[in-house]
Amino acid sequence: MTMPVYLDSAATTPTDPRVAAVMTRILRSADEYGNPASSTHEYGDRASELVDAARERVAASVGATTADVVWTSGATEANNLAIFGVTAYYANQGRHIITARTEHKAVIDPCWELERRGWRVTWLIPGPDGIVAADQVEAALEDDTILVSLMQVNNEIGVIQDTRAIAAVCAQHDGARLHVDAAQSIGKVPVDFGASGADLMSLSAHKAYGPKGVGALLVSQRRGVRLEARQFGGGQERGLRSGTLAPHQLAGMATAFTLASQELPKEAQRIGALRRRLWDGLAALGGVLRNGTEQGTVPQLLNVSFEDVEGEALLASVSELIAVSSGSACTSSSNEPSYVLRALGRSDRLAESSLRFGLGRFTHEADIDQAITAVGNAVKRLRKISGQCATAA
Amino acid sequence: MRYSRLTWEHFSNASSAGVLTGTDVARAAAGSAADGTWVQFDIRAKRRGFAAALIIEARFQAFGCPHTIAVADWLAGRAAGRSAELRLPEPVGALQQLFGMPVEKLGRLFVLEDAWVGAVQALLKKQENA
Repeated sequence: MTMPVYLDSAATTPTDPRVAAVMTRILRSADEYGNPASSTHEYGDRASELVDAARERVAASVGATTADVVWTSGATEANNLAIFGVTAYYANQGRHIITARTEHKAVIDPCWELERRGWRVTWLIPGPDGIVAADQVEAALEDDTILVSLMQVNNEIGVIQDTRAIAAVCAQHDGARLHVDAAQSIGKVPVDFGASGADLMSLSAHKAYGPKGVGALLVSQRRGVRLEARQFGGGQERGLRSGTLAPHQLAGMATAFTLASQELPKEAQRIGALRRRLWDGLAALGGVLRNGTEQGTVPQLLNVSFEDVEGEALLASVSELIAVSSGSACTSSSNEPSYVLRALGRSDRLAESSLRFGLGRFTHEADIDQAITAVGNAVKRLRKISGQCATAA
Repeated sequence: MRYSRLTWEHFSNASSAGVLTGTDVARAAAGSAADGTWVQFDIRAKRRGFAAALIIEARFQAFGCPHTIAVADWLAGRAAGRSAELRLPEPVGALQQLFGMPVEKLGRLFVLEDAWVGAVQALLKKQENA
């Protein structure tokens, strides 16, 4: 079976061969398989050196200090640790948090859980462009707000939030800490945790050509942020996240982040040109609506809705040729149209008929042309079957 | 989502999609695109005295999921040579099993049934008035 062209890089990215090489070398090593916490022998010391080196490289690639880095299994765990950890630690200072309707489920679900436990959550609704304005956050702040959690790059439409402006608003408030979910940011936008004004930041390796199963929560030591642990055991990560560390995973993440940082300018330009080619090709079909804008979004993402086309039928029609995500209700486990697109004002019908194209490091012009052809043929055919669109051939 | 072979064949080919024209064609539609499923059938039949009319050909148009399109195509494609009766050739439950449709999609089969029966009703009415 010929595999479809992969255009779902917002879901995950293939592991870069340079990352895989580093990981494989460690996995095959005869003297680096020790437990990093074993301080009584050379095996442990060597594994610990790998962890330290990875910590330094990850910190350097995102403008953090090594003391800020708390390893996790990925961004979902990092988001959970940030939200539950901060709210537990500062519970006596307030029980109000702020987030947005368009956050990732890994933020929304913990916030729902806090609501269930009696916390007050303000759910901000972004503008039609997906932007949460800093003055929206300012207006939502209350005396007992202790956490604001917003993503930097939206995983469905790629819109980039002005988290520095939001951080500035939070800084004026006595007690509101800013957590930024930056799972989609690495390799797409420059990330400088130290300069961002954020108190906490979630990171994921597999969105940036690193391995799955590893990520980090940055906890600003300079800003004196504290949180309660959610996982207990060996006391690793200064007691914030117990569990044996996996040196090959961490080294993989460090390599991926270093590469992402180095290659960002070149990739942004190349992928931006590919996205323009894709949009031009799709827009020529007519009845195609862009979810998000050219400006203010990362070049790796293009989200479009197709008028007069049923979403599941569209995805089924193209799935043998291209691998993309859909806003279709029948293709997701949640069984409802994309809540992000609905929050941005799209109807259920248009949210369901959306496709999210995730372009990446290994996407080429021929892949884009195949996508344009596949989607074009499917849309024309389905419109013809429905007889509802004048542009159908 | 994985689809059964029958579903995939009729969805990807949909050779009975289209419309019929002429004064002897009956048409009915059900559902709405806004609600996610809309189906229209066109039927041409010839009278047979006191016997039920004999369907000569049928076509469909549909806005819907692959299952909806596949079942519509199957119904229209098998219609020729059958009597025009006010029911589906197979019950809804049997169609659901035949095409391996998830139970939550059962409502789409009722839209198909409404469109089909509506088209036959329109046909009978047209022939009564002729």
